[in-house]
Amino acid sequence: MTAVETRGTRTSLSTPGRGRVVDAYAGFPIMVRFILRRNWLRMLIWTIVLAGLIAVVVQSQRVAFPTQADRDAYAGIANTPAVAALTGLPYAASTLGGILNIKLWMTEAIGLAFAVIFLVTRNGRAEEEAGRTELLRGGVLGQHAYSLANWVVTAGFSVVIGVTTALAAIGQGLPADGAFAMGASIMGVGLVFIGVSAVTGQLAQTSRGANTLASVVLAAAYLVRAAADLQADGDNPSGLSWASPIGWGQQMRSYGENLWWPLAISVAAGVALCAAALLLERRRDVGEGILPDRRGPRHASALTMTPVGLTLRLQRGSIIGWSLGVLVGALFFGTVATAMADLLAGDNPIAQAFVGGAKDVVEGLLGFFAMANVLLVSAFALQSTDTIRSEEANGRAELQWSRAISRTGWALSRMVVPAVISFLLLAVSGYAIGASFGASVNDPSQGGRFAMASLAYWPSVLLIIAFVVFCAAWLPRAASAVTWGAFGVLVVLSMFGDLFGLPDWVVGNTPFTAVPRVGEDFSAVPLIVIGLLAIVFAVLGLRRLRIRDMTGA
Amino acid sequence: MTETLAVDVHGLEKDFGAVRALDGLDLRVATGSVAGFLGPNGSGKSTTIRILLGLLRADGGTATLLGGDPWRDAVGLHRRVAYVAGDVTLWPNLTGGQAIDILGALRGDVDRARIDRFLQLFDLDPTKKARSYSKGNRQKVALVAAFASRAELLILDEPTNGLDPLMEGVFTDCVSEAKAEGRSVLLSSHIFAEVEKLCDTVMIIRDGRTVESGTLTELRHLQRSTITVTIDGNAAALSAVQGVTDLTVDGVRVSFSVDEGALPRVMTALAPLGPRGLISTPPSLEELFLRHYGVHADQAEAAAQR
Repeated sequence: MTAVETRGTRTSLSTPGRGRVVDAYAGFPIMVRFILRRNWLRMLIWTIVLAGLIAVVVQSQRVAFPTQADRDAYAGIANTPAVAALTGLPYAASTLGGILNIKLWMTEAIGLAFAVIFLVTRNGRAEEEAGRTELLRGGVLGQHAYSLANWVVTAGFSVVIGVTTALAAIGQGLPADGAFAMGASIMGVGLVFIGVSAVTGQLAQTSRGANTLASVVLAAAYLVRAAADLQADGDNPSGLSWASPIGWGQQMRSYGENLWWPLAISVAAGVALCAAALLLERRRDVGEGILPDRRGPRHASALTMTPVGLTLRLQRGSIIGWSLGVLVGALFFGTVATAMADLLAGDNPIAQAFVGGAKDVVEGLLGFFAMANVLLVSAFALQSTDTIRSEEANGRAELQWSRAISRTGWALSRMVVPAVISFLLLAVSGYAIGASFGASVNDPSQGGRFAMASLAYWPSVLLIIAFVVFCAAWLPRAASAVTWGAFGVLVVLSMFGDLFGLPDWVVGNTPFTAVPRVGEDFSAVPLIVIGLLAIVFAVLGLRRLRIRDMTGA
Repeated sequence: MTETLAVDVHGLEKDFGAVRALDGLDLRVATGSVAGFLGPNGSGKSTTIRILLGLLRADGGTATLLGGDPWRDAVGLHRRVAYVAGDVTLWPNLTGGQAIDILGALRGDVDRARIDRFLQLFDLDPTKKARSYSKGNRQKVALVAAFASRAELLILDEPTNGLDPLMEGVFTDCVSEAKAEGRSVLLSSHIFAEVEKLCDTVMIIRDGRTVESGTLTELRHLQRSTITVTIDGNAAALSAVQGVTDLTVDGVRVSFSVDEGALPRVMTALAPLGPRGLISTPPSLEELFLRHYGVHADQAEAAAQR
């Protein structure tokens, strides 16, 4: 005992080390249970979604490509630069497993990468930022026990995802060796990003910073492999692919050669990054990051000092993110439309559902895509307007309402931003769908046509904005749940209403389906009705907001 | 009374569902004065202040703020009022400096020179993101914005929450300076020393009702002072004097409490006893306050009902 104490005293004075090594991990089993308890539901939902998607997509692809001849035909045209850049090289495109890879592997891998980034940050840096880690570390808890437990639990979660996605594929009749290679390749990407977020959680001082840094690494990994896949030789990517953790997963070539050795690189990288994070953790104080917290401006700009400018400034990141997402989606929709239409034979039931009132499958598909794009823009508008409620709930509305601005003026400043930005987004993304489709059929006039068709949905977006204000004013405490719930129902009705066999008067009269689609005959009546409804909801909402008591969370 | 009032509240009532938050509350702040607003948590201080700011609507009674109706004329009045909440929430991704500018701009005056002066006084770094501020630093952001403004009326709701003693001292100086500039201050607090030092008038509220109000001197007049004195003669003579209570004798030292009105009689009785080293202690604000709360108050109420 005496020896240990002497040693402890000496080391604390001279070196950054601390007593016995096992002490640093004291409390590890308790922390594992603690983290599982706080995160089991999240992990369960991710598992259901990621494994469920596999089953759903295999089934839908079996319907889309029922015979081997269909799959061979698809394989013949699948290898386009767009597919290579977005989802990777279609190396086994004439098999159902290969088609699953093309449609879903990248989504699964990136989905899992984001899941582990958010989980590691949530249990690591976010806890530290909130001061709860300090509380725990004040008790008998080793320096590294919490972090290690966090990474171990998240690694276990990645393994579960790997196994369940493989089982889901096997359950759908895909070959077991390919399915397990696929599950393992997805898991491998997850393991690397546990390491990445473990390190960013040490570097950044805030959870936002940790998430952002890790997401930047993920984006870089995606872009590097996209470049490698674009420089492919046939269906073999360039050597650059080995520079990306996502590339390591792709190199397992599930449902193709089923190579297992690239998994070793992913596991080794994950372990090495976690070890680096432990070294960093030894060197820093609780609550501090390795990177200094960035300073900000001393004064607000003239723009930020106006209500609309403040809204823009607060939502800057979100607006940029949504804009990029919508734009990439629009380019993708426009590019794949003709290819997809070629594949969908005229008598296929899915094709028929797309055609609707349009002239042919391509037009029907494009109309569907244009509406899906509008739904994305509407989700942005909803989220942006929802801050009217969240600012009130978190107490910042009090700060502003006690100044010389009327509640109506304040709420309008928060409606103008989503209204104007969504107008611009509709115009630009509509044009992008049209232009990229036009490029594939050598018809440059398509951009303008699709921009106008998208703008026809602007009153519908305004109705969403007005409805959010209405709910925030009349049902403040339930507003977010009601608006997002209603929007979810609208999305399902608008996109898949036909497939459920619901009556036409329901499916055809939602704010999105009532608007004439691209390729259908144009009529201004629904736009005017929707616009009037938007005005009614907005006026009722703003009046109520003006005369009711401020309502906290 | 001819003096003008910055805040004038009569019989204010407010219900939250079945809970009665305010039950006939009265409150006055004379123009150019500092008024203390004392009461424990949940007694209705913040509710009153939110009604004065037009954030909540009163269910009964009248409230006048700088001559206007706080609900109807909210926007116009807010140009002349600066408010500091007891728990300030800021935008986590903006700096303290940006928040101060935005709060000023929303009121309509941003005086960078004044802002810089108060930033220095409160020792606040305006280039840090609000997310990294401690509770006390968030409070400082709101205080700097309020003091740097030219508002005629400062409404401060437990503003020193989370400030260290040094900063409390700075705060005290700033309130005194605001008063010297002719501004009015409504200071809600439960720190007695702060109120005793700063406030011209004091209101004590309990369960949404004003139970005591006036200048500190006035309030003290209503209460008994404690007198300690050394005498040569027999203390027994004192016990017979009407208005003397709690008489204790410790050798030649005698102490007792006495009503304001009984003082002349007591002095007459004391004179022949050869008094030396007489100390009269007025009741502290804390004693005044506690009289309305806790065990004392409950006993008083029980006695009143009997």
